[in-house]
Amino acid sequence: MHLDASQEKLLRGEGGEARRFAMEIVTRVGDAVGASSLVPVKSAHVLAHYSSLHDAGVDVLERFASSGGKFAVPTSVDPASIDLQNWRSFGISEDYARQQFRLCDAYAKLGGMRCWTCVQYQVCNFPKQGETVAWAESSAVVFANSILGCRSNKITAGMDVACAVLGLTPKFGMLEDENRRAKVAFKLSAGSLSDVDYRSLGFYIGRKAGARVPVLEGLPASVTSDEIKHLGAAAAAAGPVTMIHLPGITPGSNTSSAATGGERVEEFDVSRSDLSDVEEDLNQTHELPDLVAFGVPHLSVSELGLLSNQLEGRRVKKGVRMYLYTSGQAYEMAERTGIAGAIEASGARLTHSTDAEISPLKQLGFRVVMTNSAKLAEIVSSEGEIKMRYASQEAIIEEVTG
Amino acid sequence: MKGRGLVAGGAAGAALLSRRAFTFAHGVDPSTGTVTDVRSDIRGENVKGRVLFYPFGKGSTTASSWFLESVRLGNYPCAIVTEGADLSAVIGSVMAKVIYGKEIPVVSGVSREEYSRIAAGARVKVNSSGEGAKVEA
Repeated sequence: MHLDASQEKLLRGEGGEARRFAMEIVTRVGDAVGASSLVPVKSAHVLAHYSSLHDAGVDVLERFASSGGKFAVPTSVDPASIDLQNWRSFGISEDYARQQFRLCDAYAKLGGMRCWTCVQYQVCNFPKQGETVAWAESSAVVFANSILGCRSNKITAGMDVACAVLGLTPKFGMLEDENRRAKVAFKLSAGSLSDVDYRSLGFYIGRKAGARVPVLEGLPASVTSDEIKHLGAAAAAAGPVTMIHLPGITPGSNTSSAATGGERVEEFDVSRSDLSDVEEDLNQTHELPDLVAFGVPHLSVSELGLLSNQLEGRRVKKGVRMYLYTSGQAYEMAERTGIAGAIEASGARLTHSTDAEISPLKQLGFRVVMTNSAKLAEIVSSEGEIKMRYASQEAIIEEVTG
Repeated sequence: MKGRGLVAGGAAGAALLSRRAFTFAHGVDPSTGTVTDVRSDIRGENVKGRVLFYPFGKGSTTASSWFLESVRLGNYPCAIVTEGADLSAVIGSVMAKVIYGKEIPVVSGVSREEYSRIAAGARVKVNSSGEGAKVEA
C-alpha cells in the first residue's frame, strides 16, 4: 500500500504513540486486503461494548486513550452492554458495569460523541451523499451505502478506533466503484409486507447473496426508512452484505440496470413461501418466552409510538419481560411526549444506550427470547444456549399480553 | 505449502483443521479455548497452541476482540492459516503484539484443498514474513 510522507511519519511514531499503533493496524489490514492507499474519512463509528470486547477490549481502548489518542473526525459509538442510566434495575452486576464504564471513560477521553446507538444515522452522525466514512456496525454500514449514498466498508473492532484516530481508512472494497455494482438480483412478489416480513426478506437476501452485492426490486412504494433499516440489518446478520441497491431509493441506482451497470446477473424470485421458510428456520421452540426484545437495531421515536398504540389497554403477562431498546435521544423524546408512560403502563420497559444482542442475556437468566429481529435471532441462536422465537410484532403482543 | 504472510512470525504446533467458515465471536470460549459455535465442524476442539486452519472468516466484526481476549487469557492458537484473508485474525494478531507482546503469525492463500491433505493433529511449522509464508507439515 502506498503511504504519503505524512502517513510515513505517523507510522514512524512522529505523531505520537496512539497514531503509530493505529497506523500499524490500518497498514497491515490495508496490505492484507490489497488496498492501494489510505484515504480520508468524514466520520467514524466505533464499538465499545463489554460483551464482545471483553477485558482485552478495555486494554485496547485504554491503550489508545492513555497514549494521547484523540479522534480525528466526528465519531459515534454503538450501544453499550448495559443501560448506562438504569443498569441496576435490570439486574446487572457491579463488576460487569465497572468494566463497561471503563470502556465508556476511555471512549469519552478519545473525544467521541456520547450517543450510544446502532442507528447513529437517525440520531447523531449525519454524513452527506458521496462521503467516505469508516463505520463499524454492519446494519449501519448497509444503511450508509444503500440509503445515504456514502461509502463505507464494514470496519472490524480495533480497526474502527484506529481509523477514527487517524481520520483515514484503507481504500478497498466498497470504496471502489467497481465493487459497488450489483452482482445478483432479487425480485419480490410476496404481496404486502409486515414488520417481520421485512426482516425475513433481508435475511433471505443475506443468505443467498453471499459476497455479491444485491439489487432488490419490488419493494412497495410505502416502505419506510425504519423498514429499510431492519431489512438491511437482517441481511448483514445473515451474510457479508454491506450494500443493497434499491432502485429509485439508492442514490445513483434509479433502475436495476443502473445498479448492475447493464450486466446480466443471476436472479432470484422471492415469494411468500421463502419468507415463511426464514420464519420457520429462526424459530427454535414454541415455549412462552421469558423475554420479549424489540429494537435490534434500535427503535426510532415513530416505531416507539406505534408500539405504544399496539400495547394500549394491554398488560404483559406474568413471567414475561418485555424490553424496548432505543437510543438515549429517542428515549428522552418518548418521555417528553408521553409515549414512554403509555408503554410502561403495559408493564413493558423502555431501555436506552444498550441493545439485546450485546447485553448479558444468558447471565441475566433468560432461557427463551422472542423477537421480530432476525439479527437478534441469528446472533443469539449461534451460541446454542438461549432458545429463540421469531414472529411479527403483532403476533408477539397478542401472545404475551392480556 | 506457500501462502501470503499477513502478520509475520514463526510458530509450530498440532494442526486443527476446520473446513467451514470460522469465527471467534460467540464461537470460541476465550476462558478455555474451546470451540463452541454450533455450526462449526470442529466444535468441542480446543484452539490453544494449535495451528488453526479455516477457509474464511464469518460473522460479527467483533471477532477480533474475541480472539484478543483468548490471547489475554492464554488460550489462543499459535498461528492462523486461511484461504481468504480474515481481517479479524489480522487485527487481533496485530493488537496481540502491541498490547500483550504475543506473536501469532497469520497466513492466507492456502486453499482448503491444500490444507485438507494435512492429517488432523499433525505437527505443522509456520513461517510468515512480508516476502511470503511457508506452511510445512
